[in-house]
Amino acid sequence: MKRLIGLFLCFLFLVHLGAAFAAELTAEEIIRRRDHNEYVNTASAEAEMIIVNNNRKTTKTMVSYADEDNGLVIFTNPRDRGTKFLKRGDDLWMFFPDAEELIKISGHMLNQGMMGSDFSYQDIMESDKLTDLYDFTLLGEEELNGRPCYVLEGIAAPGKEVSYYRRKSWVDKEKFIGWKEELYARSGRLLKVMETKRIEQIGERWYPMEMVMEDKLRKNTRTEFIVRAIEFNPEIPADTFTLENLR
Amino acid sequence: MFLTKLALKNLIRHRNRTLITACIIAAAVFLYLIFDSLIAGMTDMSYDTLIDYETGHLQIVHRDYWAEEEKLPLEDLLSLEELATLSQVDGEVARSPELAFPARLSNGMNELPVVGKGIIPDEFLRIFPLEDKFVAGSMFALGEYKAVMGKRLADLLDLQVGDFITLLVRDKNETFNTIEAEIGGLIHTINANVNQNVVYVPLDIAGHALAVPEKVSKVIIKLEDKNGAPRIAREIEARLPAKIGAYPWNELEAITFAGAKNAGIMVMTTILLVIAAIAIVNTVILAALERMGEIGMMKAMGLQEKELIYLFVTESVGIGILGGLAGVLLGLIGVALLVRIGIDWSAQTGVDMSSFGIPVLGTMYGSWNPLAFLRIFCFSLIVSFFASIPPAYWAAAKDPIEAIEYR
Repeated sequence: MKRLIGLFLCFLFLVHLGAAFAAELTAEEIIRRRDHNEYVNTASAEAEMIIVNNNRKTTKTMVSYADEDNGLVIFTNPRDRGTKFLKRGDDLWMFFPDAEELIKISGHMLNQGMMGSDFSYQDIMESDKLTDLYDFTLLGEEELNGRPCYVLEGIAAPGKEVSYYRRKSWVDKEKFIGWKEELYARSGRLLKVMETKRIEQIGERWYPMEMVMEDKLRKNTRTEFIVRAIEFNPEIPADTFTLENLR
Repeated sequence: MFLTKLALKNLIRHRNRTLITACIIAAAVFLYLIFDSLIAGMTDMSYDTLIDYETGHLQIVHRDYWAEEEKLPLEDLLSLEELATLSQVDGEVARSPELAFPARLSNGMNELPVVGKGIIPDEFLRIFPLEDKFVAGSMFALGEYKAVMGKRLADLLDLQVGDFITLLVRDKNETFNTIEAEIGGLIHTINANVNQNVVYVPLDIAGHALAVPEKVSKVIIKLEDKNGAPRIAREIEARLPAKIGAYPWNELEAITFAGAKNAGIMVMTTILLVIAAIAIVNTVILAALERMGEIGMMKAMGLQEKELIYLFVTESVGIGILGGLAGVLLGLIGVALLVRIGIDWSAQTGVDMSSFGIPVLGTMYGSWNPLAFLRIFCFSLIVSFFASIPPAYWAAAKDPIEAIEYR
């Protein structure tokens, strides 16, 4: 009889343990929730990019429009006013108003920093959801900048073309925002670190408003990206993402 | 006949004028020949520079890769295993596989875009004479995480032998990867591209990092005689699958680009010719104007217009022959000196000319071009002939009294 009671208690314990594990989120669920916050379908934004290179600081301002796979960035600061970048699917074009020249950025040019920043052109080209590109595993939990975070590791999904083979992410446990991300080459070399400095609740989603990107292959450089205003799901004219509109 | 004799007598009679005009023509002819010789010498050197340090005499490349070569793709590569079946061809000295890729070279502080080349060192050195071009260190061995680059490139990033570099590359799947390597050697050649833009790493290390093991972009072949390249290319193509092509050195993009640059130089030569022509025309016209009084006198004595024109043109052509011959003679001496002794620009200017992409390290030599001698001699005759017609017409049409009192 005692043996039976013992077995029953064990069974109850196991059931309870299982339920407790089921309540924990899987890595995929965490990233999915993060994508829900950070992935943008359609948006228009005003932003500022501060490029710091040693003691030199350059500020560039821009307005941008995004719709699914397409994006348009128009620089508005005096020096670069009228410079535009257009992304259509997997293609990226740049327009310089002074030269009135349309340039397609491709091949190894995509590895260069956009307008001298720590963001490469390739970085702005990847617009797919992270869950579509990487297989994530949950490494554990850590506190970062006073916030409890999940620590996840994403490895490029087989057959997917991704820039970074591995990424390590610190995702807020409550707000599901990535506070920090380390991007690695296939060799294991740390290439870039992106940190979110400020987030804001816009409607029902949390969104990163200030980010800092550091290229770890260069010293004393970083790029701050500050979103001044953002509107989700605005009406964007159909001809916004055309080459004709770029000129 | 009388007029021809008169024209010749006139040439001797007005000795000073004849000599001065002929000297101007001779100077133009001489300058052209020297310039042409230097350009031809530089062209030969630039071809040799490309062949000796970049292209070899012949390249075996996948045809689809050939069309996209500028982008250095990792598609349409050749399999080393497949190429091993291609036996040596007649006239072949050596062959070397190469895997070329775009990369960003980082010293941990800054980055520069470069072209990475994965090579098999022993085979590479049999084609490209780099052994004596090392200014520090030496060539790596296969499997070693080492790199060789131009001294100029190393200077730009403040690198020395023994320092570590990172090459940031994108592999076949477009994923970033890095090649971490120690600088094994620094070279300095007369090829500015090799000095400034290329980083050599072992082929196996590059293949692994780019996720294309045992694959190469091309196989470079060195021949006993570069002129045999087109024939041997056809022979090799006959033994290869249709998708793979064999391209002789004169069809390679770098060479045709160098050829295009030379076409630009030929434009400059043409401008030089035009300037020479203007100088000749000017001298002939002035000589005609100077003889207005004489023309009036001859006309007054009963010489017809066409006879006057004939006289003028014959004299002018005579001066052209004299000047042309003198220029050609001077040119022969000048070009012979250029071919034998050359010009040491760096000694003259104290500047390494290869810094400007001019493929010259040390002395620059001229080259013989018999066609140029013939061309410029005919040119001086034709210009003298045509330059004399308008002033002759103009002077012959004048009233004898007006012509006599022209001054």
